[in-house]
Amino acid sequence: MNILPIVWVFLPIITAIIMFMVKPNWIHGLVFPLQAILLLLFILYIGHLRAFPEDALLVFGGYADWIGISFYADALNLTFVGLTIVMFFIIMYYSFKANRKEKKYFFFLTFLEGVFIGLLMTNDLFNLFVFLELTSLLVTILIAYRKAEQSLKAGLQYLLISSVAAMLYLIGVMLIYYLFGTINIRLVAEMMSTYEDTMLMRVAYGLMMAAWMVKGAVFPVYAWLPKAHGVAQSSISALLSGLIVKVSLYLIMRLHGDMFGQPYGFDQVFFVLGFVSGGLGVLFAMTQKDIKQVLAYHTISQVGLMMIGISFGSGNSYVGGVLHLLNHALFKGLLFLAAGVIIKVYNTKKVYEIRGLFQTMPWTATLFLVGILGITGAPFFNGYVSKTMIKYAFADDALWMILFQAINVGTMISFSKLLVMFTGQPKAGIDVGKSSFRQHLPMTLMAILMLAIGLFYQPIIQTLYGFTAYDVHIGSLASLVDYVLYFSLGLTLYYGVIRKDAKPFQQIRDFTISFPSLNVWLLAVVLVFLGLTLR
Amino acid sequence: MIRRIIGLSLLIGLFFFMVEAMNEFGVLYNDEARLYFQTNGFLETGSLNLVTGIYLDYRLLDTLFEAGILLVAVSGVSWIAQHDHIEHNPLFMLDRFKIPELFVSIARVLYPIVLLFGIYVVFNGHLAPGGGFQGGSILATALLILYYIDLNKKTNLTRIFFIEKVLYLLLLLISSLSFFTRGFLFTNVVSPDMGVAWQSVFLITLNVLIGAKVALGLTAIFIAFLKEGR
Amino acid sequence: MNPYVTLIIILVGLYGLISSTNIIKSVFMATMIESGVILLFLNLGTWNGGVIPITSDVSLAIVDPIPQALMITTIVIGSTVTSLALIISIKIFHHHGSIEWKDLKR
Repeated sequence: MNILPIVWVFLPIITAIIMFMVKPNWIHGLVFPLQAILLLLFILYIGHLRAFPEDALLVFGGYADWIGISFYADALNLTFVGLTIVMFFIIMYYSFKANRKEKKYFFFLTFLEGVFIGLLMTNDLFNLFVFLELTSLLVTILIAYRKAEQSLKAGLQYLLISSVAAMLYLIGVMLIYYLFGTINIRLVAEMMSTYEDTMLMRVAYGLMMAAWMVKGAVFPVYAWLPKAHGVAQSSISALLSGLIVKVSLYLIMRLHGDMFGQPYGFDQVFFVLGFVSGGLGVLFAMTQKDIKQVLAYHTISQVGLMMIGISFGSGNSYVGGVLHLLNHALFKGLLFLAAGVIIKVYNTKKVYEIRGLFQTMPWTATLFLVGILGITGAPFFNGYVSKTMIKYAFADDALWMILFQAINVGTMISFSKLLVMFTGQPKAGIDVGKSSFRQHLPMTLMAILMLAIGLFYQPIIQTLYGFTAYDVHIGSLASLVDYVLYFSLGLTLYYGVIRKDAKPFQQIRDFTISFPSLNVWLLAVVLVFLGLTLR
Repeated sequence: MIRRIIGLSLLIGLFFFMVEAMNEFGVLYNDEARLYFQTNGFLETGSLNLVTGIYLDYRLLDTLFEAGILLVAVSGVSWIAQHDHIEHNPLFMLDRFKIPELFVSIARVLYPIVLLFGIYVVFNGHLAPGGGFQGGSILATALLILYYIDLNKKTNLTRIFFIEKVLYLLLLLISSLSFFTRGFLFTNVVSPDMGVAWQSVFLITLNVLIGAKVALGLTAIFIAFLKEGR
Repeated sequence: MNPYVTLIIILVGLYGLISSTNIIKSVFMATMIESGVILLFLNLGTWNGGVIPITSDVSLAIVDPIPQALMITTIVIGSTVTSLALIISIKIFHHHGSIEWKDLKR
């Protein structure tokens, strides 16, 4: 029973290979029983772990744990695995009809699921590197799947910067191996507290942190994300923004929090970095004219918010940050999927050309509205819970509260832009028949989950983290009035300032970092983290 | 220009940090893993070549995913190389290339020698330097010599993909057989007290499977580049 | 002496990524970084007078076999990443007719 984690990894891989080898196309339906079996095994394993907690460490080959490869399960990665299974099910259901004849699409997608679960469960530094490179390769192929011009370019940049970051990470792994004699994460974490601070460890730290910053698109090295998420297929964009970009936060929590936590506790750095990322993300998102670019830049901002929450290490803000991770997967996924339907029907990506959503597609429009309410933090939805919990730790500090609220107002401004799509008259010749029930069902499921987390957050947080969240006063009049005030502030700022489209905004919109400059920023990040350890 | 100057200065800074790190390397080297393999490596795995013992026994999971990445890369490259868009100016290298006669004659002599050498390296992976991956690359080189001799050679790529995936499933199956005989996953099927000879059977089988898989995979990637989907 | 030379290879590769305007050159520089990392790892584990780890004699001081096993995996991974990057560059060339980074900025 304790080998179940490796079954979760290999079952999707074997299914993917079988789906590729068998000729008829109805074999693609195999993905749905696969997800059901995975969910069943997941629940079984959690029950087993409650009864036998010493089974959490699984060493392959029966060797000692400092020599062989091991998998380790705890609350942190089990929640991620659950989120992975749910998100993949939703994406597969959504894209099943559009891609049902394409073998390779399902092959890559199912393989990615297996590899991603392996990435979350592994406890060995080099195994992590292999899974990281596998994920980069699969994500590149999925981004460049349609082989349009922009997707090829975005895929290539993602592949190259990801590969360079992984190589820097590998140098860090090598230095840690020479220092400690083992590459088992838990053992290194235990041994780290007794070692003194040497230059080897500092260089390893600087290099590894830079690699994770690249994977998570944090402030200086974010440039691959808008290109990649903006041009991929909608289902793939939802998967990337919702899930794959969060793996860097998981790695920061695991490797910086557990492993390097003793010598270098750099919570301040992540706190400030989160704010910078959050602010820049909404600044760029406000000025874009393309639906998917708005959503993609906005992901950078939300990852920044999560980093603010996570940098506290424990308490309400930390749980708020981790909860925001789950919530963001749900509402960003919902927004991308709904945007995919809208783009398919209207045949354009520009926001100002899409009008009259409520008339042509009422159900999709409602779902999109639910997504916007969630992401801006309306009471009764899950965004409100997580954002209020993140604010908890610095609620007394006026400067950071003002900045946090400014980021929230920025979010509302960028989504006010999208609200324009709901009004007005649609252009002639819109064919609504292109959307189908198969696409509406998963989106509705996500909306219901969002509402459920928003209303019943106390028991959910209690079961997931064993932590009693403080009361965020959902139904209180003060929070409602607060939200309406901020929203109207956002709307007025939008109509007053952004709509005019002044020259600085056009320059911000066209601002891109080319690939060679991106590498300069990568080196700068390495040196900044190295320099910080010298304190 | 500014970018290069900034980049150069950052690189020089990184260089100084890393040199300082490597200077203290000799002092801080931790020996435990090396001593463990020195004393127990041959006894537990049954292979004289300890490196093969590591990647086929202690860290078999890494090897499985390495074979997996080759699988993904082959499918990905062949998908991207296909032509189903109207492109602006496709230039195909093959149409302007003529192979010299001397090369063809020497290649005809080399082909069986390289093939034999590749098979030798694969089979002797656990006794001498070599193994599945190394021998597989040599075999791929041998198979590719055939493409240089005859540029219009027809290959059924679908069959290569099929065989490759069957080989990968076989690899997974044999690796997990140890769960039923010894109770642990991903290690040698035969336990160490049954003798080195029986343990070597497992090692040779895995090496042959990996060698065949790598050879087919690299050949398929090269064919995808050469034909570009035509 | 050798670890310092491999370090220079890695840094030259990084500089090449910063300053190359050509897509194929960037791919080559990424491959060079990967080769440099592999050489660095191998060099740090060996020393003069160490015995090659192909022996059953437990008293001989072998060189560390773990870096060599890890690098076998890394070489395969690096070559697959390079092949995928190259095929995408070829497709970009077919679409755009040019292979410079700055011509792709549209």
